[in-house]
Amino acid sequence: MKATALWVLLLCGAAVLPAQVTYQRLLHADHEPENWLTYSGRYDGWRYSALDQVNTSNAARLVMQWTFQVADLGQFETTPLVVDGVLYGTGQNNRAFAVDARTGRPIWRYQRNLPDKLQPCCGMVNRGFAILGNKLFMATLDGHVIALDTRTGNLVWDAKAADSAAAYTFTVAPLIVKNEVIVGISGGEYGVRGFIDAYDADTGKRRWRFETVPGPSQPGHETWTGDSWKTGGAPAWITGSYDPESNLVYWPTGNPAPSDYGGERAGDNLYSNSMLALDADTGKLKWFFQFTPHDLYDYDATQVPVLLDADWEGRPRKLLVQANRNGFLYVLDRTDGKFLKAAALGQVTWAKGIGPDGRPVLNPNLKPNAAGNLVCPGALGLTNWYSPSYNPETKLLYVATSNECDIFTSAPQPYRVGHDFLGSVYVPDPVIRPTGALKALDPLTGTEKWSFPYFSNPNG
Amino acid sequence: MNAGRYIGLVGLISAAFVLAVNGQQNPVAGNPAAIREGASLFRANCSPCHGLNAQGGGRGPDLTAGRWVHGSSDADIFRTITRGVPGTEMPANGFDDSETWAILAYLRSLAPAKSESVSGDAAKGQKIFWGSGGCSTCHMVQGRGGVLGPDLSRVGEARSVPYLIDSIREPNKELTSGMLDPNNHYGLPLVYDTVTVVTADGQKVVGVAKNEDTFSLQLLDTNQQLQFFLKKNLKEITHERKSLMPAYSETMLKPTELQDLVAYLESLRDK
Repeated sequence: MKATALWVLLLCGAAVLPAQVTYQRLLHADHEPENWLTYSGRYDGWRYSALDQVNTSNAARLVMQWTFQVADLGQFETTPLVVDGVLYGTGQNNRAFAVDARTGRPIWRYQRNLPDKLQPCCGMVNRGFAILGNKLFMATLDGHVIALDTRTGNLVWDAKAADSAAAYTFTVAPLIVKNEVIVGISGGEYGVRGFIDAYDADTGKRRWRFETVPGPSQPGHETWTGDSWKTGGAPAWITGSYDPESNLVYWPTGNPAPSDYGGERAGDNLYSNSMLALDADTGKLKWFFQFTPHDLYDYDATQVPVLLDADWEGRPRKLLVQANRNGFLYVLDRTDGKFLKAAALGQVTWAKGIGPDGRPVLNPNLKPNAAGNLVCPGALGLTNWYSPSYNPETKLLYVATSNECDIFTSAPQPYRVGHDFLGSVYVPDPVIRPTGALKALDPLTGTEKWSFPYFSNPNG
Repeated sequence: MNAGRYIGLVGLISAAFVLAVNGQQNPVAGNPAAIREGASLFRANCSPCHGLNAQGGGRGPDLTAGRWVHGSSDADIFRTITRGVPGTEMPANGFDDSETWAILAYLRSLAPAKSESVSGDAAKGQKIFWGSGGCSTCHMVQGRGGVLGPDLSRVGEARSVPYLIDSIREPNKELTSGMLDPNNHYGLPLVYDTVTVVTADGQKVVGVAKNEDTFSLQLLDTNQQLQFFLKKNLKEITHERKSLMPAYSETMLKPTELQDLVAYLESLRDK
């Protein structure tokens, strides 16, 4: 054998490393606080870090160490992953990058070649990667799910999920379960028919799809009138949580379309604004809970569900807690979806409260109409997609809240493929300036332990 | 393809393009379905500035007055909507062509709002503005005047007579009927938000907030000087929820003087 051939063999041998991030590592992400392996940091949606070097005694003295320019405009919504010293992030217009986390020096950059005309409601944003093995997974604005090589950013596979010309877009960070990449579609402002998909992480082949608006002959279809289900919305644009013990994925859904006009979609409009418990292997619905039936206020339930095991009325119970955009904190039994409690997170006027069955008791005078009605919370909610966090040491849930009421107007709107489908418009209360607060809550009762006021609300 | 044919084709395409941009008329003018679609698009996208019925709001002019400052032909308004107006708050909009034409069909379908006639004398109004009225202390016109209040160099184009009268007589009246920017969810201060602060040494400063966040405040004070504060150094911050503009009662500004002043303001347009 010639020396050069040996050299090539050695090089290739050196490149064959064991798969970087195993499913076992994802399952036990809390054992390696120096890394951040999933969107919420761990499967239970806690977004909690055990690192304690930065704390209240020194946070004021933090000094910037490096900057990295993504070379684009618009806002970030990404939660970067940090894996073994490398930071993987996504940026505007489906740009993506890997940088040395210590120095900010780029390792590679990626940019998807997007079509000219895309319709994301709220910016050309993306909320981040998921990682498994040597692949990073991104759901793209043009309705595809792609896999990139962690070392080079090279495209490994590309699966088309939906037609972006009909305003189907992805902004969500995928969730990895076993060898599956789970994603949910965006487009509730454009009359899409929502879905949650799972793809094979090796090949990009679709394993299952759960349609969030049931078609004819499917249970729940009766909650829509006429053809309204075809354009019913119920997108699924925030990453769900996962319970390995029950193998259930908890994935929330967004508003029915058109968001502010319900005249042509009489009924509860399942499964809009709901929490879905799906079997991770099959996508089959185990249970659902709808927070805001027949929504007229754009109250997407797309807030990260937080999974807690706690004593409930004297016995241990597996719980799911969600601080919902409609203004209430909900506690559900995550084994069967049973409603246990709701508590207002702030000023709420659209509903007088939540009944014992979990359904809102509506304030009938506050439906949107042609002239406009002032309703709290506003369309962007008392909280929204920005994640909550649960600290097991304090046993408190931390929620960023927005204090804003909006004037909701409503009018019929014809549907056109790929165009906005809102049924009118909302504007902020012109008199009271919106504010916000970071609140620390008892997750089981909603009792506020403390609150730090923000000058402005956290929406963005 | 040979070069000659190619050049000919390019010429044809260019000519067609120029025709489309400069001479095109609304292909859906008067079409009831297009007007309905234009109305919903207008409500969702334009009404926050221009008002639910296009009669003007806090930020955008009345579009029912028949005053098309940036050109009144179909092609002109099409261009204004799609490209925006540089130097103003009117942004470029990413509508499909068919949507832009639908909005135009809707705007053309609106009956002009009843405009209040102005009986005043603009020359007399000009004297009031720069003299007895004290308006120029705070307002700038064509580079002269104060900076505490809005620049009024083009106010005659942008605002209706009733709006101007309300602004003078009752500056705190809600003029915009909920027409703030729905996308302004970034906590920017309301335009001309009056703030009073008390500093650590007890000094009181009143001004207009140019920006503010949880930790700091940027104020243009009544001496028209910028002042920057860290909130931890302030004893008190009060948002007054009223304009610094005085309400000009009939004793301060007689009805005839008001008419003169409004006539002057109406005359302020792009030259």
